[in-house]
Amino acid sequence: MGGSLSDFVTIAAVVGVAVAAIWLVRRVLRRLAHGRQSVRRVLVEDALKHLRHCESTGKPASLEGLSGVLQISRNEAVEVVRRLESLGLVQSADGGLRLTDVGRRDALRIVRVHRLLERYLADRTGVDEVRWHEEADRREHLLSSEQIDRLAAEMGDPRFDPHGSPIPTASGDVGPAPGQSLVELPPGTHAVVVAVEDEPEVVYAQLVAEGLTVGTPLRVLDTGPKRIRVEALGEEHVLAPLLAANVFVRRLAAAPPGPDTWEYLSELAIGRSAKVVDISPVCRGPQRRRLLDLGLVPGTVVRAELASPGGDPTGYLVRGAVIALRRSQARLIRVEPVEKGAA
Amino acid sequence: MGPHDCSRCAGCPVHPLAQEADAGVNRDNVDFVVALAGNPNTGKSTVFNALTGLRQHTGNWPGKTVTRAEGSYEYEGSRYKLVDLPGTYSLMAATTDEEVARNFILFGRPDVTLIVVDASRLERNLNLVLQVLGITDRAVLCLNLIDEARRHGLEIDVARLAEELGIPVVATSARFGRGIDELVRVVHEVATGRVVCRPRQIETRSPVLAGALGKLQPRLEAAFPALPNARWVALRLLDGDRRVSDAIGSGELENLYQEGQADTAERPPDGDGKPTTPGREVVELASALRWDVGPNFHQSVVEAIYTEAVRIADPCVRRTGVRRRFDWDRALDWLFTSRWTGVPIMILMLAVVLWITVAGANYPSQALSDLLVKTIHPELKQGAAAIGLPWWLRGVLVDGMYLATAWVVAVMLPPMAIFFPLFTLLEDFGYLPRVAFNLDSTFRRAGAHGKQALTMCMGFGCNAAGVVATRVIDSPRERLIAILTNNFSLCNGRWPTQILIATIFIGALVPPYLAGLVSVMAVVGVALLGVMFAFVVSWALSRTLLRGEASTFSLELPPYRPPRILQTLYTSLVDRTIFVLWRAVLFALPAGAAIWLVANVQVGGESLAAHFVRLTDPAAVFIGLNGVILLAYVVAIPANEIVIPTVLMLTIATAGTVAGGAGTGVMFETTESSTAAILQAGGWTLLTGVNLMLFSLLHNPCSTTIYTIYKETGSTRWAAVATLLPLGIGVVVCLAVAQIWYLFV
Repeated sequence: MGGSLSDFVTIAAVVGVAVAAIWLVRRVLRRLAHGRQSVRRVLVEDALKHLRHCESTGKPASLEGLSGVLQISRNEAVEVVRRLESLGLVQSADGGLRLTDVGRRDALRIVRVHRLLERYLADRTGVDEVRWHEEADRREHLLSSEQIDRLAAEMGDPRFDPHGSPIPTASGDVGPAPGQSLVELPPGTHAVVVAVEDEPEVVYAQLVAEGLTVGTPLRVLDTGPKRIRVEALGEEHVLAPLLAANVFVRRLAAAPPGPDTWEYLSELAIGRSAKVVDISPVCRGPQRRRLLDLGLVPGTVVRAELASPGGDPTGYLVRGAVIALRRSQARLIRVEPVEKGAA
Repeated sequence: MGPHDCSRCAGCPVHPLAQEADAGVNRDNVDFVVALAGNPNTGKSTVFNALTGLRQHTGNWPGKTVTRAEGSYEYEGSRYKLVDLPGTYSLMAATTDEEVARNFILFGRPDVTLIVVDASRLERNLNLVLQVLGITDRAVLCLNLIDEARRHGLEIDVARLAEELGIPVVATSARFGRGIDELVRVVHEVATGRVVCRPRQIETRSPVLAGALGKLQPRLEAAFPALPNARWVALRLLDGDRRVSDAIGSGELENLYQEGQADTAERPPDGDGKPTTPGREVVELASALRWDVGPNFHQSVVEAIYTEAVRIADPCVRRTGVRRRFDWDRALDWLFTSRWTGVPIMILMLAVVLWITVAGANYPSQALSDLLVKTIHPELKQGAAAIGLPWWLRGVLVDGMYLATAWVVAVMLPPMAIFFPLFTLLEDFGYLPRVAFNLDSTFRRAGAHGKQALTMCMGFGCNAAGVVATRVIDSPRERLIAILTNNFSLCNGRWPTQILIATIFIGALVPPYLAGLVSVMAVVGVALLGVMFAFVVSWALSRTLLRGEASTFSLELPPYRPPRILQTLYTSLVDRTIFVLWRAVLFALPAGAAIWLVANVQVGGESLAAHFVRLTDPAAVFIGLNGVILLAYVVAIPANEIVIPTVLMLTIATAGTVAGGAGTGVMFETTESSTAAILQAGGWTLLTGVNLMLFSLLHNPCSTTIYTIYKETGSTRWAAVATLLPLGIGVVVCLAVAQIWYLFV
C-alpha cells in the first residue's frame, strides 16, 4: 500500500538530486571535451578569419590586434601565429602579418562557412537577428565539409549573407565588394542599403534597432562630422558617423517607385483593398518564397476579406484565392491603399 | 571513340532510363506516361479519378514521405500510365513537394504533362503553368471547375487561351464528367505527336534578368543544342539550383535529350557523372553571373512570371456580370468563422462526428467480435487440436496471435471505417481549413500551427493517421510539435477502456439514474484533459527542444464544394483505414504471441506473468496502479484495444480465481458486472480506476504510431522523444495523484 508524506518527500529528493547530478556531470564532460579537443583549431580558424577581414578592409594585421579580437593573451597569440606559419598559412612581413595564398584560400573557406550559417539562421530558424553572428561563430567549427555542402545545396547556394556580405563560393570566388559606405554620400542622394557590417556587435545592434536592414531604401538629408541624417521607412533617423560607416549602400538614380506613405497590410480594414508595394526584407527564406508564389508580388491588388474570431489570422483575397495570413506576416507587407472596386 | 554501344546503356547512371527509374517511373507494359500537375484545390484528384476509375494505387515517392498516386487507362489501344504529382504552387524546388514534382517532369520526362487549373483562379494558377512550360513542350491544360467559374460570372475564352499559351486547352468539369472525353483525346494527340505545342516562354523586362539571360542562354544553347528548355535551365542556374547545376555539369541533362542521336562522338561513352568541359564552362559562367544578378533574383523571376500571367489571362477572362443573388461562400464563411457562431459550430461538429463514430461502431464491433472471437476462435482451437498440434503451439498461434489480431480488428476497424470517411467529407467540403483558421491564434500562442487542430482531431480517430495527417503542415517545427503531441488525442482504441472503467468505478459513485451521464462526462473530461496537455506540451516544446527552428505559415481557404461521397469513401477506406489496420495487424501478431507466452510459460512454478506482477506490484501501487496494469501495458504496446482483455486475463491468472468461463491465460472480455467483480477481486480501488484512465491517456503511443512517427520524421531521436515524453508525463501525473490520494484518503 501507499506511503506517508515523508516517503514521498524522500523519493522526490532522491530523484531531484539524481537529475541534478547527471546534468552537472554532462556539463563538465562536455566542457572538458570541448576544451581539449579543438581550442587550437578554433583559434586557428578565428585567426584566419580576422586576417582575411583585415585584408579585405585594408587595415594592417598585427599580433596585438589578433590577441584583442580572439581575446587571448599575447603569448597565446604568438603560439597561434607560430602554428599558422608552420602550416604555411601566414607569413610575417614588414612588421605585420599576411596571409599566404594557401592561407587566403583556407580563410575564405571559413568565411564561407560562417556566412552560410548566418544565412541559414536568418532564413530557416527563428534565431534573433542580433545573435546570428555569435551563433554562427559557435557552429562553424562543428560542421564537416559535407554537412556544409548539403546545407548550401538545400538553400540554393546563396551568394549573399543576411547582412549583404558576399558568400565565397566553394572554389573561393568572392565577387565584387558591395556598395559604398553611407558616410560618402552627399545630401539629397537616394540609395538602397545593400550590406551592413555585423562587427562590432554593439554597433550592429544599434543599426538593427534603427531598422536599417539590407534592402531598405533611404534618402540622405544632411551629413556632418558629428552626425548624419537620413530618411528611411517614412521616418527620420540620426546616425553617428561610426554607425553610418558600417552601412553600405548603392546609389539610385531617383527615388524608388512607390507611395510616400508607409502602410502595411496588417492595418487594412476588412472590405478594403490595397496594392502591394513590396515585402519587407525581414521576411526571408521559405516564408518569403511562399508569399511570392501565392501572388503577393509588387503591384498585386489584395482585399481583406475575412476576420477570424480571435482577430488573427485574417483572410485576404489574392488573385482570386483567399489566403489566411497572421498579423506578424501581414505587418511585413507594405501596401498602398486603392479605391474600392479596383480588385 | 567509337559508335554508341547500346548494350551498355542499362547500367549507366546518366542514361535516361536510369534517371527515369530514379525519378520513380516504370515504363513496363505502358505506352505513354502522363504526369498530372497543378495547384492544390484545383480538383486534380477528381480529374485523376475520372481518368483512371478504380485502377489506381497509392504509395510514397521513393525515399520521401510524400504521397504518390498512380493509375492507368486505355485509349485507342494505347496503355496510359497516369502519375499524380503533389499539388504545388511552384516548381522552384523550395519544398520537398516541389522538388518531387519538378524532378519528375524534368528527369522523368513524361510523354505529356497534364496541368489542372482552377478556371476561377487563372492568374494564380498560371504561375505553375508557365513554369511547367519552361521545362517541357508537351503539355495540355485542363481548365477544370469551369462550372464554378460560370456560376461566379466568369467567361473564359478557351481558344484564345490556347493561342496565348501555345498548348491545347480543354475546359472540363471533372466532377460531372464533362470534358473528360475530349481531354483524353487531346492528351493522346499530344502524346502521339499529332499535335505539336509551341509553348509561350516567359519574357523578361527587368534589365537585371535580361542582361544575365542574354549572356547565359546563348552559351547554353551553343554547348547543348539538344536541350529544348535552355531558357528555363539558365534561369535555374542563375537561381542557384544545385540539382540542375550538377545535371548540366555532368552532362546528365543533356543526355536526357540525346536519345535517338546516333553520333555521340564528343561524349564519353561511359558518362560516369564526372563534369564534362562544356558543361563545366556553362556552370562557371552562371556562377560568375550570379554576383551580378544580386540577392533578389528569385523575386525578379516570380514577378516576371506574374506579369506574364496577367498579360495572358486578361484578354481571356471576361466578367459577364451574371452572378447568383445569394453568395453561398460568403454566407457559409460568415457562419463558420464569426465570433458567435464559429466556435460553437466547431464543437458541435466534432461532438457529432465522435458520437456517430462511437454509436455507429458499437454494433459492427460487437458483430465482428462475435464472429472472430466467439465463433471462429473455438473452431480454430478444435481444428488445431484435430490436426495434432502440440498444446503450446496451439496456444501461441490460436490463443495468442490469432486472438490478439482478432481483438484489434474487431475493436479498431468499425470506428475507423466511420470516422475517417466523415472526417474526409468535412475536408472535401472545405470546412476543415476554416477550423484551422479559427483556432490558429490559440495554437500560435502555444507555438504551434492552426492546422494542428486538424491533426489532433484526426488523432481522435487514430494517432497513426493523425501523425500522417501532419504532412499538411509545411513548417518543419510546427509539424514536429504536432507529431510529438498527437498522442494526447484520445484515440478510438482507448475509448472502450475509458468508458468501461468510468462506468465501473466512477458511475458507481452516483445514483444509477445519473451513472450513465456521469461516466460520459468523465470520459469527455479525460479527452479534454488530453487536449490541454497537448497545448501545454506544445508550448513547452516550442520553448525548449524545438526552440529556434524554422516557422512558416500560410493557409489557403478554398471555396466550399459539395463533397464527392463515393470517392471519399474509397480513398478514406483504402488509403487511411486499410493502411493503418495493416500496420496494426503486423504489430498485433507478435504481441499476441508474447502475451500468451508470458501468461503460460512457467518458470520455477510460476508463470512469467506472475513473476513480473509480483516484482513490480509495489512500485506500481506506489504510483496508484498495479503490477497487472503495468504488464498489460508492456505487452499491449502494439494496440491499446487489447489492454482490457489482457488485464482481465492476467488478473485471473495471477489472482487464481476462475471466473467468466475463460481458459487459462487467454484474453477475454465479459459483461460489465463480471468485469467489475473480477477487478474488485483483484484488489482494484477507485484510485486504480482513476489512474488507469489517466495513464491510458498519457502513456506512450502504440507501436503502430511509434513506427509511423519514425517513418515520417526519419529520425530515431524524435521517435524516442515521442515515446518517452508522454510516458514520463503519465508516470509523473499518476504518481502525483496517487500520493495526494494516499495523503488524504
